[in-house]
Amino acid sequence: MKQRIKLFVNGEAYEVYTEPNRTLLDVLREDLELTGTKRGCDSGECGACTVLLNGKPVNSCLILAPEVDGQSVVTIEGISKPNLPLHPVQEAFIEKWAIQCGFCTPGMVISAKALLDRNPEPSEEEIKLALAGNLCRCTGYVKIVEAVKAAAEKMKEGRS
Amino acid sequence: MTVQISRESLIGKSLTRVDALEKVTGRAVYGDDIKMTGLLYGKILRSPKAHAKIKRIDVSKALALEGVKAVVTGKDAPFRGGEALRDQPFLAIDKVRFVGEPVAAVAAVDERIAEEAIKLIEVEYEDLPAVFDVMDALKPDAPIIHEELHTYEHIPIVQPVPGTNICAKFEFERGDLEKGFAEADVVIEDTFTFAPSHHGQIEPFMAIAQVDYNGRITVWVPNDAPSRLRKDLSDAMKIPQDRIRVISPPYMGGGFGGKGGLKVEMVCIALAMKTECRPVKIRLTREETFEATLTRHGAVCWVKMGAKKDGRIVACHSKLYYNTGAYAEKGPTVTLHGCESGVGPYDIPNIKVEGYCVYTNRPVAGALRGYGLPQSSWAHESLVDMLAHKLGLDPLEIRLKNALVEGSINPIRGDELFSVGLKECLEKAAKAIDWYKKRPPNRGVGIACEYKATKTPSGSTAFVRIEQDGSVEVVTSSVEIGQGVRTILTQIVAEELGASPNMIKVTVPDTDYTPFDASTTASRTTFHMGNAVREAARDAKKQLLELASKLYGISPERLDTWDGKVFPKEGGKEMSFREVITSHYRAGLSILGRGSYYPNIPGTLFSAHSVFYMYAAHAVEIEVDPETGVITILKYAAAHDVGRAINPKACEGQIEGGVLQGIGSTLYEEILFDDKGVMLNPNFRDYKMPTSMDMPKVIPIIVEAPHKEGPFGAKGIGEITLVPVSPAIANALFNAIGVRIKDLPLTAEKVYFAIKKQKGGN
Repeated sequence: MKQRIKLFVNGEAYEVYTEPNRTLLDVLREDLELTGTKRGCDSGECGACTVLLNGKPVNSCLILAPEVDGQSVVTIEGISKPNLPLHPVQEAFIEKWAIQCGFCTPGMVISAKALLDRNPEPSEEEIKLALAGNLCRCTGYVKIVEAVKAAAEKMKEGRS
Repeated sequence: MTVQISRESLIGKSLTRVDALEKVTGRAVYGDDIKMTGLLYGKILRSPKAHAKIKRIDVSKALALEGVKAVVTGKDAPFRGGEALRDQPFLAIDKVRFVGEPVAAVAAVDERIAEEAIKLIEVEYEDLPAVFDVMDALKPDAPIIHEELHTYEHIPIVQPVPGTNICAKFEFERGDLEKGFAEADVVIEDTFTFAPSHHGQIEPFMAIAQVDYNGRITVWVPNDAPSRLRKDLSDAMKIPQDRIRVISPPYMGGGFGGKGGLKVEMVCIALAMKTECRPVKIRLTREETFEATLTRHGAVCWVKMGAKKDGRIVACHSKLYYNTGAYAEKGPTVTLHGCESGVGPYDIPNIKVEGYCVYTNRPVAGALRGYGLPQSSWAHESLVDMLAHKLGLDPLEIRLKNALVEGSINPIRGDELFSVGLKECLEKAAKAIDWYKKRPPNRGVGIACEYKATKTPSGSTAFVRIEQDGSVEVVTSSVEIGQGVRTILTQIVAEELGASPNMIKVTVPDTDYTPFDASTTASRTTFHMGNAVREAARDAKKQLLELASKLYGISPERLDTWDGKVFPKEGGKEMSFREVITSHYRAGLSILGRGSYYPNIPGTLFSAHSVFYMYAAHAVEIEVDPETGVITILKYAAAHDVGRAINPKACEGQIEGGVLQGIGSTLYEEILFDDKGVMLNPNFRDYKMPTSMDMPKVIPIIVEAPHKEGPFGAKGIGEITLVPVSPAIANALFNAIGVRIKDLPLTAEKVYFAIKKQKGGN
């Protein structure tokens, strides 16, 4: 039987009727049509569906929809808005060529942002660890790690 | 008077990706993001058997389920497809040949109903003996997988052997092999095995198909070759190509050779033919993507080499056996390309290479970055090291001694080689890891090199359109797989047309509107499509300058363009493209430039020597933990001769990505099966791909030996970046601890037991 859940996504309130065995990823992509969050494996192994749930990065394919009732979610669409400046992580990903096919990119950006929110000056090892749940098959991660370092620098300059 | 025009070339500049903004903001649209009015969802019932006769299929219960709109089996779509050899039914007909083969499918109003419905389909099988090992499949008493092999249509270069499991075989011979071995001071031979691996694209496979009221088929699918897909479908279904339209979704989430040929398209079309014009979407799960799309060939490679005391290799004989699984797919040409690099990038006067593409009851194997070379290179690059050891020579020096150079004769095809940057690759890669440095125990260095052909001959056509507002559209069927093709084509057109990159957009392929292109594969796009768009840009520029010459009142030869403006070469007023077009055609018009590239080489597809060759050398320093067998990569240098780097960052990205993908299949990636042919690790949990934690220090090195026919001298890069990885690491393992492993992957367990055996333990 369908359940009514309320959730806040990118600052907007939504009400969704859903079977309780559907996931947050299903709700985001299919009901709310926020397709920036990608479906790669449906089992929490690739990280393409990473979103922020109450500020923490989670695999949205592992969260059942009723669990997010009343909770706050940020997806890649909430990280930047058209005609407004990008987040420093996004800027750095563009500048450092940290993107190839782009399928892992939204999840990578979310994981990187979450890292820099909790640890503004991460070491290379800390960056690698924070991204270990996000698989990328194109880049070999080299330029992604460089981009996260550059984003940390940008944010540091922004603070000073 | 001459005005100084600042004209800094865009070639060789690392422009940012033209698609970066859409991708980094999550607004880039991929296949599964597409919804349509009336969309139905398909699910596939797959074979649980590796080899069995289908005795009976009963779909009545599935059809009766509310919400189900169509059910199909093989008999509803009696077509066989395949680029090289048409052996693969859209859904199994009469028998199944691998675990995961489509047997029936359902289209329903939602995915859950479709899922429920396929469980209601009853199938009765009669087991047949199955064969999984490539050498077993060649035995005289092996079960025959394709009894009708003699009836299949195939391209001229593919020669199946009816009555056997040999789907294709190739042989190249030059010089006098026996004489060569007789002259050699040292002859060694060995056998190397290569484990099957998977592409691991993060985007799973999908397709949408629709059949309109006229029976015309439209397919939306992330396929690396829309023009080829249309032809493959037309050949399979025996309908004209214009009855089929292939549209690429705006973006593809990784391909690596997997998203080509006929995959989900086949079942999707079979369903769409029965849904009364409603579109049908099928998206595969991660498990299906592993089990039932494509793998890299497992292989057994035997190589024999003979050399003089000074290290000069005088003879090489290779026999390569590729396990192509249940259907040919691109297996025959994968085997062919493996053969084309079957003796390595060396000037060897006496060679013989035999390649066998062999059917088994494994899932279908086909193209995966490297196209047959990861297997053949694994063998000969390991053996060259063993040869060096036996002769007491340095592995780098034996390679430099035999390496192909400008003017060498291709040992396989006999064509004269030019644009050969191999020695520079070897020297630079070795230097980057400080090759000759003395190293502490358990540390070692390894090197491997290779050259790779591209499929030849093959063609590309493009248009460059200048709109009335002066903006430029590059109309092409090249697919943005992630490699950066739209950025590269933008740079080439901007340079040739004298436009600024931000005026240019590159189309998404749609076979109704974008012209023919053979494929976005084989590292062919920068070269072939690059030449086509360059010619189209030149044509558009010529037309633009003819218009401008009327406005300026001087001949077109005295005008030029840069940064979106026309100007007289001797100085004077500039006019924007828009001003030129609207001054002449006040009510508006487009300028359409045309360009095509087709190499001037005779022969049918895949039959000719390559129009260009990529060269590469990788050098690696590793540390081995003798207690655990774990290999740690300390430094990895990869040098690639790309002809000319249009965009160095894009080249680096290809190198870094290819190297880590290669490290995966060298150290831990391996598709595992049980004894019934069931895949045991069809997910990212059990099939281990490298994560950010596994990223070593990679040093990408770009070498430029310009190609006379390449756009601005460019060749290609993507495929070869993975090829030398396995032998380079295995050679470093030998250098570090004196252990030679000949079967991939080099898991810690395997290394540990090899060390133990070397020490004389059990």
